[in-house]
Amino acid sequence: MTWSRRRIATVARRDFLYTVRRRAFLFTLVGTPLLYALLMFIVIKPQQAERAGALRNFTALGVVDSSGLFARGAPDVWTDILPENPFAMGNAAPAAAQRFRTRVRRYPDFASAEAALRDSEVTQVLVVPPDYAGTGTLRRYARTNNLFTAGDQRVVSKWIVRTLLAGLPDSSRIDRVTQPLRQESLYALGHDGRFELKNEAREMLDFLLPFALGLLLGLSIVFGGQYLLQGVSEEKESRILESMMCAVSPEELLAGKLIGLGGAGLSLVVGWLAIAGVTAAPMLAMLHFTLPPWIVAIMLLYFLLGYVFYGSLMTGIGAIASNMREAQQFSVWFTFLTFIPFYMMSTLVGHPGSALAVALSMFPPTAPVASMLRLVAPGAAVPAWQIALSLLTLAAAAVGILLVSARLFRVGMLMYGKTPTLPEIVRWLRTS
Amino acid sequence: MLQVRDVVKRFEGRAAVDRVSFEVPHGEIFALLGPNGAGKTTLIRMITDILRPDEGEILWEGRPSRESVRQSVAYLPEERGLYRRAKVADIVAFHGELKGMTSREARASARALLDRVELSEWAERQVQALSKGMQQKVQLCTAMIGSPRLLILDEPFSGLDPVNVRLLESILQDMRDAGATVLLSTHQMNKVEELCDRALMMHRGHVVLYGPVAELRRRHADHAIVIRTPSAIPAVPGVTRVESRNGDHTLVLDRDATPQAVLRALVERGVEIESFSRASLSLEDLFVKVVRDGFDGAQPGALAGPEPASSGVPA
Repeated sequence: MTWSRRRIATVARRDFLYTVRRRAFLFTLVGTPLLYALLMFIVIKPQQAERAGALRNFTALGVVDSSGLFARGAPDVWTDILPENPFAMGNAAPAAAQRFRTRVRRYPDFASAEAALRDSEVTQVLVVPPDYAGTGTLRRYARTNNLFTAGDQRVVSKWIVRTLLAGLPDSSRIDRVTQPLRQESLYALGHDGRFELKNEAREMLDFLLPFALGLLLGLSIVFGGQYLLQGVSEEKESRILESMMCAVSPEELLAGKLIGLGGAGLSLVVGWLAIAGVTAAPMLAMLHFTLPPWIVAIMLLYFLLGYVFYGSLMTGIGAIASNMREAQQFSVWFTFLTFIPFYMMSTLVGHPGSALAVALSMFPPTAPVASMLRLVAPGAAVPAWQIALSLLTLAAAAVGILLVSARLFRVGMLMYGKTPTLPEIVRWLRTS
Repeated sequence: MLQVRDVVKRFEGRAAVDRVSFEVPHGEIFALLGPNGAGKTTLIRMITDILRPDEGEILWEGRPSRESVRQSVAYLPEERGLYRRAKVADIVAFHGELKGMTSREARASARALLDRVELSEWAERQVQALSKGMQQKVQLCTAMIGSPRLLILDEPFSGLDPVNVRLLESILQDMRDAGATVLLSTHQMNKVEELCDRALMMHRGHVVLYGPVAELRRRHADHAIVIRTPSAIPAVPGVTRVESRNGDHTLVLDRDATPQAVLRALVERGVEIESFSRASLSLEDLFVKVVRDGFDGAQPGALAGPEPASSGVPA
């Protein structure tokens, strides 16, 4: 095996520049954050509109009361909602609440209430059976059922609570029972060991931060690896390497590619962090939030090891696949593995010390993203030995895969037109 | 000097190259011939250190071809490719940097080479904008940058029009005159006859022919003479068969007959001789003969000729 730092640097520089100068790279760098911002806007805006729409359309509630408990119920219900703006900065003035009125109409029997519902005189019908006080059983009829909002349920619930407590002399107590935690201030332990206020914005940050950092880490590892897969497949398919291998050894070529294309992946992380820093800085400052430097350092370590692991895997796949399409078909499974922690995010963020969370952070393909989710989960205290063991396991797997891929690369890059069978791959590994 | 000594390479127990030995001195264009699957590419890959021999050794300038290969040997493989979206000058300069040139030297050298192959106006264009023949010339530049002392070319004429074939021939002759060693693997036998000093032919992993091209052609021709004459060919003692084509008559001789005696007999019988020569086999005929008539592994090296002169001057 021959190593020349100069040749490795030449290959790394070429691959880095060739990748970052491509329009697709620029599109990924700028387009991905824009796409996520757009998606959030597209998802949150209609949700808000849906909730307001459900309340706006809920103009009348028909009530058939056989229990007699609701005889003195109020003739209408007022519901307030506050508009949410996920992009609002700290100094933005709070938006005014929207009020919606729902009238309550009484019917002597279900038949008349049903007729009114069918004629659209009421939006929903609430049927209270005689034994409601003992069983709590109710029936509600609606013309349509909205899967995406529980705004209508809130109207009915509010009217029931207010009616049941109507006899109490203190009206403020009724308000408290209706919305007992509306003015709550929750304080929870932060990463620095101090209690910090957990308001709505902070809760959103607590959810978004692990998600964003995990996604950032996962995407940068996958993008770097995909650049390798693309580069190796392209070079194999276009038969470039044989003439180069006279001037540079396969090991130097592989090392140069890992460095150059890993650099391109790292550039994406830096670019995205910069964009996120500029856009989210005011909100983070308002919430007195800072990311501890040790988390950034560990994130960088996970990126490097995760990239070597995943990138080596992609190099091996690129070396054995006969063309780009086939290589991508193989690689999709490993890409899927990288993002598995997101499917278990509630466990990882909600219970970062659970057995599943620990196991996922020890399994090399899922370790970077799973560990990142655990580390920045609100109030998480991941033991240092678990971080160390996770990093060690990942490092060992990365080195192992790198050695195997280097052997596959040496032989596979000169094999054209046919994807080898598993026994052939084993033979390559033994003989190379 | 390139020295290949008793080299063996096996794949899955089968010898792709079996005890091959030859030497190529400086300032020579040497042909490596053989049918498909003869083991030529495997042999070239061992010379360029892409593959390692199972047995034997390959020396370049007296040293094992490892690191020494990287600086002074260039290879244009038959399976060619370039980065499609890279600029022409960039890709040539990149190969120069891999061979140890500084960035500035590599760019200047790339420009000069592109100028030599008449592609200077395409230097800043992407490779994908070039025709196949132009890409072939760019590929040649990637091999030639850094002034390699040993240039190995596998089917370099494929895809080139006659004008560019002549251009390539002229470049190869210039390299030979400058003292470089050119190892040429091709199926275009006419180019070997025109360009190459010596040749080695492989068949099923073995060397079956080795020596100066002219000598190989003569040695393996029938015992015959070729005469051109407007007259009919009379019966002459010592001639066993006459083959006539376009005014040329090939007279196949008895083992004991000499060309001089047959010529004298023809003149005595009033045949007007316009030209006379010893018959030689074209390389193409020799190639077909070797492959068809089974100069195979049963007698490796059976037709191989003498070693090259130790002075490095082609025999």
